[in-house]
Parts: sequence; C-alpha cells; structure tokens
Amino acid sequence: MALIGQDIIPPDLVAKVTGRAKFAEDFRADGMVFAKLLLSPMPHARVRSVDASRALAMPGVLGILRAEDLPEGRGLAPERALTDEPMYVGEPVLAVAAVDETTAAEAIEAIEVDFEPLPFAIDPLDSLRPGGPNARLEGNVPRLAEDEEGRNRMTVQELKWTEADFASLDEGKLPMGEHTDEWTHGELDPAFSAADLVLEDTMVHQSLTHHPMEPRSSMAYWDNGKLHIYASTQSTQRTHGAIAGQLGLDPSDVVFVGQYCGGGFGSKIAGAPIYVVTALLSQKVGRPVMLRITRYEENYIGRGRPGFQAWTKMGFRSDGKMTAIDLYIVQDHGPYGRSGDHLTAAGVADLMYQPDAMRFRGLTVYTNTPPRSAQRAPGGAQIVAMLEPIVDKAARELGIDRLEIRKLNAPDHDAEFGANRGRLTSAFVREAFDIGAERFDWDGRKTRSGERNGTKVTGVGIGLSPFVGGSSGFDGLLVLRPDGVLHIHQGIGNLGTHSMADTGRAAADVLGLEWDRCAIIWGDSSQHLPRSSVQAGSQTTHAHTRANHAAGMDMKQKLQEIAAIDLGGSPASYDVGGGRVFASSSPGRGMSFARAAERAIELGGKYSGQELPEDLHGDTVPSATALAGQGLMGVARDNYSHEGATWSFVVGFAEVELDVETGDVRIVDYLASTDCGTVVHPRSLGAQLHGGAIQGFGQARSQKWVFDPTWGVPFAHRLYTARPPGILDVPLQMDWVAVEEPDPQTPVGAKGIGEPPVGAGSAAVTSAIADALGGKCLCRIPLTTDVILAELAGRAQPHRPLEIHS
Amino acid sequence: MEILRTAANPWGENILLGVAWWLIWAALLAGVAFVVVHAVYVGATGGKKGMTPGPAGAAPVPDKVERHSRSSRTYHWLMAASMLTLLVTAFFPLVGIQFAWVTIHWIAGVALTLLVLWHIYDSFFRQDWRAVWIGGRELGEMKTAVGRFFSRDKVPHPRMAKYHNDQRMFHHAASITGIGVIITGLLMMFRIDTWFWASNPYFLSDSTWGLVFVLHGLCGVGLITLVIAHIYFAIRPEKRWMTRSMIKGWITREEYLTYYDPDKWLLEGEAKPVAAPSGSGGTDAQGDPEAVAPA
Amino acid sequence: MAVIRDMIPAFELFQPTSVDEAIEILDRYGRGEAWVLAGGLDSLDWFKDRIKRPEAVVELGSVSELKGINGGTGGLEIGALTPLAEVARHADIIDNFAVLSDAASQVATPQIRNQGTLGGNLIQDTRCWYYRGGWPCYRAGGNICYAGTPKSMNREHAVMGQSRCVAVNGSDTAPALIALDAQMVIRGSSGERIVDAEDFFVGPAIDIQRMTVIEPGELLVSIRIPGDWAGARFYWEKVRDRQSWDWALASVASAMFVSGGTIERARIAVNGVAPTPVRLTDVENIVRGQPLSDGTIDAAGELAIRGSRPLRHNDFKLPLTRNLVRRAVRGEA
Repeated sequence: MALIGQDIIPPDLVAKVTGRAKFAEDFRADGMVFAKLLLSPMPHARVRSVDASRALAMPGVLGILRAEDLPEGRGLAPERALTDEPMYVGEPVLAVAAVDETTAAEAIEAIEVDFEPLPFAIDPLDSLRPGGPNARLEGNVPRLAEDEEGRNRMTVQELKWTEADFASLDEGKLPMGEHTDEWTHGELDPAFSAADLVLEDTMVHQSLTHHPMEPRSSMAYWDNGKLHIYASTQSTQRTHGAIAGQLGLDPSDVVFVGQYCGGGFGSKIAGAPIYVVTALLSQKVGRPVMLRITRYEENYIGRGRPGFQAWTKMGFRSDGKMTAIDLYIVQDHGPYGRSGDHLTAAGVADLMYQPDAMRFRGLTVYTNTPPRSAQRAPGGAQIVAMLEPIVDKAARELGIDRLEIRKLNAPDHDAEFGANRGRLTSAFVREAFDIGAERFDWDGRKTRSGERNGTKVTGVGIGLSPFVGGSSGFDGLLVLRPDGVLHIHQGIGNLGTHSMADTGRAAADVLGLEWDRCAIIWGDSSQHLPRSSVQAGSQTTHAHTRANHAAGMDMKQKLQEIAAIDLGGSPASYDVGGGRVFASSSPGRGMSFARAAERAIELGGKYSGQELPEDLHGDTVPSATALAGQGLMGVARDNYSHEGATWSFVVGFAEVELDVETGDVRIVDYLASTDCGTVVHPRSLGAQLHGGAIQGFGQARSQKWVFDPTWGVPFAHRLYTARPPGILDVPLQMDWVAVEEPDPQTPVGAKGIGEPPVGAGSAAVTSAIADALGGKCLCRIPLTTDVILAELAGRAQPHRPLEIHS
Repeated sequence: MEILRTAANPWGENILLGVAWWLIWAALLAGVAFVVVHAVYVGATGGKKGMTPGPAGAAPVPDKVERHSRSSRTYHWLMAASMLTLLVTAFFPLVGIQFAWVTIHWIAGVALTLLVLWHIYDSFFRQDWRAVWIGGRELGEMKTAVGRFFSRDKVPHPRMAKYHNDQRMFHHAASITGIGVIITGLLMMFRIDTWFWASNPYFLSDSTWGLVFVLHGLCGVGLITLVIAHIYFAIRPEKRWMTRSMIKGWITREEYLTYYDPDKWLLEGEAKPVAAPSGSGGTDAQGDPEAVAPA
Repeated sequence: MAVIRDMIPAFELFQPTSVDEAIEILDRYGRGEAWVLAGGLDSLDWFKDRIKRPEAVVELGSVSELKGINGGTGGLEIGALTPLAEVARHADIIDNFAVLSDAASQVATPQIRNQGTLGGNLIQDTRCWYYRGGWPCYRAGGNICYAGTPKSMNREHAVMGQSRCVAVNGSDTAPALIALDAQMVIRGSSGERIVDAEDFFVGPAIDIQRMTVIEPGELLVSIRIPGDWAGARFYWEKVRDRQSWDWALASVASAMFVSGGTIERARIAVNGVAPTPVRLTDVENIVRGQPLSDGTIDAAGELAIRGSRPLRHNDFKLPLTRNLVRRAVRGEA
C-alpha cells in the first residue's frame, strides 16, 4: 500500500490557506440580492397576523417569503424553514429579500407581527410535572402509537408523571415516572445481587450548540427552470437529493454546489432546512438570493446536542467486573423530531462495560429550545463523560487500578451489546488501553493523583469512548482520462476531515498510481457524483475506502483486460503500477494508463461506461452515464462482506491541575489512543483525535446553554456566552497513538474516527477532575468553576439538583 | 410629546414603563404658574378684604382656640418631612442630581405609609373626619364662591368651618395622590431588595406593573404641584396665622371669629364666655397652651 | 417593530485628529447623540445588535495625542487610546507596575488586545446578558432588573454593591489601576478634570444607566500612574470559565509593600463581583502594619466578602473572592 498510511497534501489546502476557497457565502451571481430573516421572540407562539405593507413599500425591498409559501411539513418533524407557529426563540418566521442587507434588515424592522404567546417548556422535568406545560400543542413526548389503520407510528402525545414520581427530586434523585423506551438484556436482579458494590447516581448533561465556523448560509438562483444552489453541507451527493426532495423537484433540475464546508459536526448531514428559503425566495423575486446566516442566527437554527437528565445504578464484583447497569435517561430534545441519543447512549454503556445484565429506560421530552440533531458522537459523547467518573469511584472503593477496571470490562471481538445483542467487526480496545497507558506513562502518572502543589491538586483521568465507525454498500466512480489522470468522483463533501481525498487513495493504491496523477472531483452535483453515504456517524472513511477500492478493482480488471486484448495473454497475467498496465513476467510489455484510457474509449461498452453494472444505485447511473466515453471507467458497488457493526474506540488520558481555592481547572496533558483500524492519513487522524478532544474539553468544562426560565429566552447565543473552548484551554502539547490493527471486515482495514474523540476528551477530563476532587463525582456536565468551587468550599451548589439550562 | 414611556418587553410586546419625565417640568411649571397667577391676582384685587370678626356662637370662645392638637401637628410635620424626602429622592436624580436615593426613598415611603395609616385611624376614631370632607354644604358653598368670583359685587366671603373649602379640596387632592403613591409605592417595594425580602419583579404581570408605574408617576408628579401650592399658601403673609397654628397649635379668638363660622366649627367644653373682639393683637402674650379649648 | 440583530445601522462617522476637534463634534451633537468609538469591541456589539443606534459616531483612531506611554519610575501617563497589547508589553509597566501589564495581558484575546484600548477597557459597558440582549431593564431606561429576580440566570452577576441592578463591571485593568492609585484625566468642552481611579466608576445606586463619571461630551484622555507604588509587591489574578475571550468571574489586583514580614501599606481592589470595581479599603486598613501571617491573610479574605449578598446562582463568588483576596495578601497562589 503506497498511499494509505501516508500524510498527503489534500487538494483543497492551498485554496483554503490562501483564502481562495469559496464557501457558500462567497458565491455571487448577476443581479444577486440579499435576504434577512425575522426570528420569533417567543419560545412558543402563534402568528396571528403579519403586516409587511410598510416594509414592502420601502425602496429596494423585493419580496417576502412566509410559511405558507413553503411545502408542508410532515409527521414528527414538522419543522420547516419558516413557520407561523414558532416553537423556540429564534425560529425563523419569514424572510425578506432586498437589494442589500441593510435594506433587508430595515425591512424586517418595519414588519409588524402579532404573536400570540402559547405555553412553553424549557426544562423537560417541568413538562413532565402534573399540569406542566407542553412544548407542542399536541403533547410533550414522541412515542409509538397505533394510528387509525392499526399501524405503529411515532406520534406526539402528552405524558405526565405523578406528584409521587417527583417526590425524589428534593433529595436530588431523578424522578422516574412512566417512560416510552425500554430494553433489557440478562437478568437484572441476580446481576445486582452478584455485585459487591452498587453505585447509584443522578446526573445532568447540558445541551450544546454545534457551532461550526461556517454558518448555514446559502445562495440560489433559477436558470431556465433549473435551480442552482450553493450551500454548506456534509454530504454533497445526499444534500443534492434532499434539496430536490424538499422542493418537490427532480434531482436533474437541481445543481447543488458545496465545495467547502466550514464544519458540520452532524448539523449539516443532508443540508439544512433553511436552504429552501433562498431557493423559493429567488423563485418569487426573480433574482438570485443570498442568505448569509449570522452567528446569532446560527445559534438558534444551527442545531444542538440533546441534554440528558439521567440516573444510573451500576453493580461491580469485588474484582471490578461490572455485573449490571440500570440506566434511565430523560432526553431534552427541543421541539422537533426524535434523535436517538439516549438510545445510543444506552448501547454505548452496554458495549463499553459489558455488564452481565442491563436495563435501559428513558424518554424524549420536547422543549421550546433549539432543535437537536446528531452532534459528533450523539449520545456516546454524553454518556461516557457521565459514567467514567462513576467507574473511577468504583475502582477507588474496590481498590483497583482505574486502567485495570476498564480493561477488565472492555469489549473484545466477541462482544455483544445493546437490545439486539449486536456483534462487532473488531475491537482492539485493550490494545488501545495498553499502548495509550504506556505512552502516557499511566503507572507513573497515577502516583501523582491527588498530589498537591501549593493550591493546585493534580488529577489524572481516563475515558473510553466507543462509537460507530462505518457503513457499506455505496458506489465508487472513477474515470481514467486519456491524459493518464485518474478522476475520482466523490459524492461525499469536504467537511474539513480530508476524507473526500483520503478515501480516494484506496482506488489509487489498487491501481498503483501516484497521488499527483489523481484528481478528486467533489462538491458539485453537476460533476457527476456517485451514490454516497450521508457522511455522518463516522461512516465515510470505512464506506468510501470500500467503494473506491471496489471501483479501483473494477478498473484494474478492465486495464488487465484491455492489455490482454491488445498485447495478448490472459488478463490475469497483467499487473498495474507506475501508471502502466504491464505483463507480470515481462514488465517492459505493457501500455500506459493514458493509452489504456484511449483504448477504453475506442472499445466502448463497459470499458468506457456505456455499459454499467446492474447493481449500481439509481443515483449513480445518471452520473456514470454522463461520464461515459470520457476514458476508462471504474465503477462498482461496494459488495464486500460486512458482518457485524463497525465501531471505533478512543481512549483519552488526561492530566489536570485543579486549584482548590478558585475551582479553576487546567488540562495540562492529553493523549488519545485509538483503535480505528488501519490508519489512512496519520496527520488527519491526529487532527481528528485532538480536534474532537478539544470539543470534548469544552463539553466537560465550559460550554452550555442558559435560558431564562420566565421568558424562555436563551443567553448562550453568542460564542462568548456559549463558551466553546479556546486554544488556551488546550494543553500546549497533545499526543496520540493508534493500535493500527486492520479491521478484518473491510478491504482497506480502516474504520471511521470522526466521532469518538469527543467523548474521550470529555470523559478523560471529567474523570481527571473527579480524581483531583478525591474521587468525588459531581455528576454534572459541564464542570464549571462555580460547580467545582461550591463543592470545595462546602457551599450550596449553584444549580438545583437536576436543573438544566442554568 | 408622549405622556407615557413604553418599551418592548423580551418578547417584543409593548409594555408601559411609566409616565414621561417631562411631566416633572410640567408639574413644576404648573405649580409656579399657579403661584404667580395667584400672587398677581391677590396683589391686584387686594384679596379677601373686608373680613371682620363675626358674632360668636353658643359656645364660649377662649382667647386661644386650639386648631391643631400636638399629635396632629407632629403628624403634619413628619408627613411633610417624609413627603419632601420622597419628592427630592424621586425627582432630583431624574433631573441630573445623582445620589444613592433608593434606600432613602423607600424608607421615607414606609414612614409616610405608617403616618398616613395613623392619620386615617386618628381622623376616623379620634377626630371628626367630616371636618375635611366635601359634602353637599361645601359643594353649595363652592358653587357660590365661584359665582362670587365672577360677579361684580364684591360680597365678603362667608365664614367657614374649621377647614376651609379650599383646604378641603387640597386635602382631597393630596389624599388621592398620596394614597396613590403609597399603594403603588408599596407594590413597588416588591421590586427592590429591602432588609426584609429580595426583589421579585415577577410579583405582578408586565401590564399590571405598567399601570402601577404610571399611577405612581402621575401621583408623584401631581404632588410636585400640590406641594408647591401648599408651601406657597403657608408662607403668604395673610395666611401666616394659619401656618403659626400648625406650629404652635392655636389661633386667636379674633382669628376664630373673623374667619370661622362658630356654627360650622363648634367649640366644645367649658370656657370663659365669649367677649367682644378686642382688636388686633394682644392675645399672643397670653399664649398658654394649657388654657386652650379643645377643638 | 420586529427585532433583527447582527446588522449595523447607518450613522454619521467622524474621524477627528485631535481631542479638541473630537470634543467639538461631541458638543455639536449634544447630550448622548454622538457615540465615542475607540477600539470598537464594546461599541460594535451594540451597533450590530441595533440596540444602541447613535446618530453620529466619533472614531478616535486618528487622534494620535491619545496614544502612547510616557514617564518612568516616577510615574507614567498612558494615553487612553493606547492598545492593551502595548500596555501589556511595555517595559516600564512590566518593571514597575506589573499588576497592570498582567491584567492587560489577560483581557480577551490577542486580537482584541491589539485592537482594544486601555480607555475602552475601563469604560466598557457591562456584559449582563439581559441588558446586552436589549431587554428593557433599569440600565436600559426601564424599571426592572431581569437578572435579579428569584428565577434569573445570574451566575456571572454581582454579589455586592447591587442597587436594583445586579450587573458587574467587566474591566480587567480597572482593579489594577485602582491598586496603583491611578488617576483618570477627563476632558470636555469646559476643561479638564482629574478623578481618582476608584471614584471613576459609578454604581447603580447613584446612576443606574452609567458605568463611569464620564459625562456625554467628555473624553477619557489619559491615565496617570503615580510613582508611589512602583516596584511594590503586586498580585493579579483573574478567574474565568475559559482562558481566552472571557470576562472575569472575579479578579483581584493588589499592590503591597512588605518589609521584614510586615505589611507596610497595601492597596487592593476586586472586580467582577459588583457593579463597579471595588477598592477594599477595610481590608487595606486591617492588614496595614500587620505581620504577613495566616491570621492576617484569612482575616483579609473574610473581610473582603463581609456584607455581600449573593444571588440565586452566584454564591460561589463569595469563596472565590475571599480566596483571591487571601492570595493577593499572601502574594502567591
């Protein structure tokens, strides 16, 4: 393998560092005008009337877009780009187009909207109280119910707990009334009976905004009935289809461009609901429309990670083996949809500790807070940071090394987990613990635990963070041009992870081609992209090394066949390398790739893409067809076997210094150790491991949401009030190390690694802080200075038990 | 010019904040204008000339007639002090003279409240509240007075009860505005931290608070004008005897018979028989509060 | 009227080149109609949110007489428009008045310190998020403090000196300058006046809509630091949620002369805990002449928070302030 495992310069780098890269808001079109949004000032309201007459009469104002101009929303997630029943402060109500942004802003101010306030809920527990408010008119929880035709469907219903359920709240214990989600494996009671130590904790984890650097801006225009739209997204190919779907258009009538993406973290998986605004407003005013989403607006519409109010009971044998977990999660979900963070969290807990028995119960509660979506390790990042300090507590009480208790319970290749007792493709978790512990000098460091230096006390922590790392079954599409350059068509987007370049190397390696002979084609639906993953759930590296490997193998086969046709012998007697296909026995006999590409065009049929494999996805066929005849085509569906679930693992090791007089915490060292299969791109892997950890540091220490409960209005809607971490909150040096054991269920051996680094960073820090506090788990995330200092000074905690958004 | 100050609440709904502060200047101007107009009018017309002592009633009239008991006087001056404190602490900061006024203001407000409560008790249970009331008789008199003001014949003013009708009118105006500021002020106590509780501005709804603030502002501003007029009369030369009575408690027998109708202000108790008025002066020297007949 | 944020409305821009010219423009516009813009880090936030909408903006960037640091151990005069970065790295300040360079070096971020000025850091408006959100609170001319209610989110608000308003002063350099006994030179159309640093800030009890004594039409021209405290034992510490772009949850600045284990004299100020930076005169008095012992240190800490009144979410600021003052007296963390 020549390229996989090497550092490369990705093809977008120069444009990025020189500022030439065009992000969504950098595009321009002739006659382009600007849009601005009017946001709801209330957490839940009904628009009684809108008087835009004064705004529309202003010079330079071109038009207004209302909810009624949009396609209907459906089912559980009736969220639309604009609404007449806003369900959170900041939800867009209407948009105005004007010749410039100043005029558009003035027009928004000239609009009179008559809002009727409706009941609202900010804290899920408030909504669950008898007589508590519902975030939605229909109810406060999503749950399965039979519809008129007897089908089980998710619907919004009202669920209230009893006063008796809430009795435990005063003691700081999560009330646990009726739930909507439950699964169990094993026998819970015997498993707890077998335990020598049972720990019970109530925990709170805040919600967090995604905060991608690039907000969800977009520009759109119509040309001869075709929509051209420029927007920031994760998966280009899937966003193209999603936008067409939202607008009821045929995908061939939509050109979608999204070449650079300033971060998504799960919030831009298939675009964003707001993107239809520019498309429809442009149609209405007959001009190209640009909507630049501001940081303030991004904080509202930019999605967030669901917060948890949770309770757990965990049983341990005296040797540290975990016997049972009983877990209850109330998931705060904003007003729309239903992400499975709480379900994933339960699966992650089961996977990482492998208890003999586990019960999960929980429910999702709607609140009038910004909508949630997947955020980098959804569910996983929350639960590992919540549970790891409790495992530390068990280790302390049982007198076991904290590394050993984790290794003892860690999953191996035969692990089963979750409700369905799923299996893994591979799990080199103990190896990750071992190499990480060695590099971090765990044995040396742990002796420093609790060491005092003036007012500073040292804490060391470990956090294991598993997360899904790969899907399969997508298509690879390659064209070897007559100039000898391999065009690798990538439907995945340019999320900053370099995966759109890195995964292409699987094809290049199969063909033995130098990287400078490869061109990555990405970011523009008119460039004929193959069916791709949604580029979420850390699928990409796994899925698209496979798809490109498959396409590469197809191309290699075709090269061998062309050589055999022209030069005689069997295809199998030819090999590829150095930009040539040549006879294995006599390397001088062969032809260049350039010549082979010419020959493919001449030969036609499958060689030039005139004939396509039958199992290609319907989305790939038009792209391949459009490229037919341009060279030698390698195109294939990923049909490699894929038994079991692909999961990656990161172990975070952190050392912190906690000031006992101020509650201030500094992370002084951090190491990430990972099992992510074969390392595809070391430098990029390091960036993922450390970048994710930094996000985790913010999650553990500073970043949160704050709402005024009386008005339902948020305050953490600026970067400085939301407090994501800055570079000074990060240790000067951070290290990483990888197990580098290939996953046996994928040809390249690589697993996705985008997500688990967050939980590892967060959990290592919550674990280290608990260690510095002498093993005390405060069980609230983030562990801000006030929370820590209140504990140290023996004063009342600043937050009521289970208080959220405070 | 708006009379009310408004703002958008956090939900963008329009709420009342209070009265516009230009009303302070308007009230000040109204007070000053009243003083000037009255002073000019009195200067030009010579005021209520030709009042001479009238016949005494059935009851004997002592040399000194008690007009204000010691407790009434104490009440009056304490109330005056708290009222002036309230006005200064309320309005000086608004016109640019900055100091820490809130604590002084609410303490003075509490003092005023207690004084007014005592006064209400006192007037209903210990004194005759009808002494300041505007009833049918007073309305009739006021009607006549208005007619007299516009008539060419300068008929002498009739003599009055213990409290003249203009005093009764002032008392009514001061009572209404005073009770207005007191009730609204007490509610506003919920919005500040005191020694007894921490502020809770959510005690009332936005719109109710708006009303409270507007009433407090209107009454407070109204008191500026009333206080100016009150002080003006207190220092006018021809009214000084009345001011003196608020300090020392009594008026002379002559003043009693000159300005008051003994039928309307009945003196009670044993006293020496009413003598003929002995001209001006002469009574002060005998001033002995002990000898004063109770009113 | 619907609300929209993040879009600066138009205004008349003036860029005078001298203080006199700037004051003349301010005068011409009268009370509060013209806005003084220094580094812009406070102002542009207000403008972008369309909450403060001045008719005219007087941008001082071209007034060179407002920039620069002059003097030495005998005292310094720092132009109000001197960038914080320059204050942080100036050799004379580092050598003689390190509490100021330390404080300046922890303001926000390097970018902000390059753009932000010393004067702007001192005059900055409070960051109370209710007030900054455009809510019609006392400070904004309304008649309510939304942050002080029993249900409010007030973790970052005041624990002392509240008077209806519970916002805190966010300046890092203010307590340092109070500790240094600095003076503020203010100029307006009626001439120049000099105000002690500790008297420069106005609390809500006196004027709920202002942060400093600067009247409309006046400019903070320079900051004078006397030589009295040159070379003293200084202490500066700022505790915040994250290590950049964050205001202090509490900060402490002190200057002390300690001789033979005895505190000869001291000046101590805290910020982030009250609507103004607070000089702890009582603490200074009880430590003066005392041995630098645990007893003195603890007594100083307790005295610093005597009479404070935490809100629902900020009780932690009491131990925090107490401990910071103890550290300041102790002279080390």
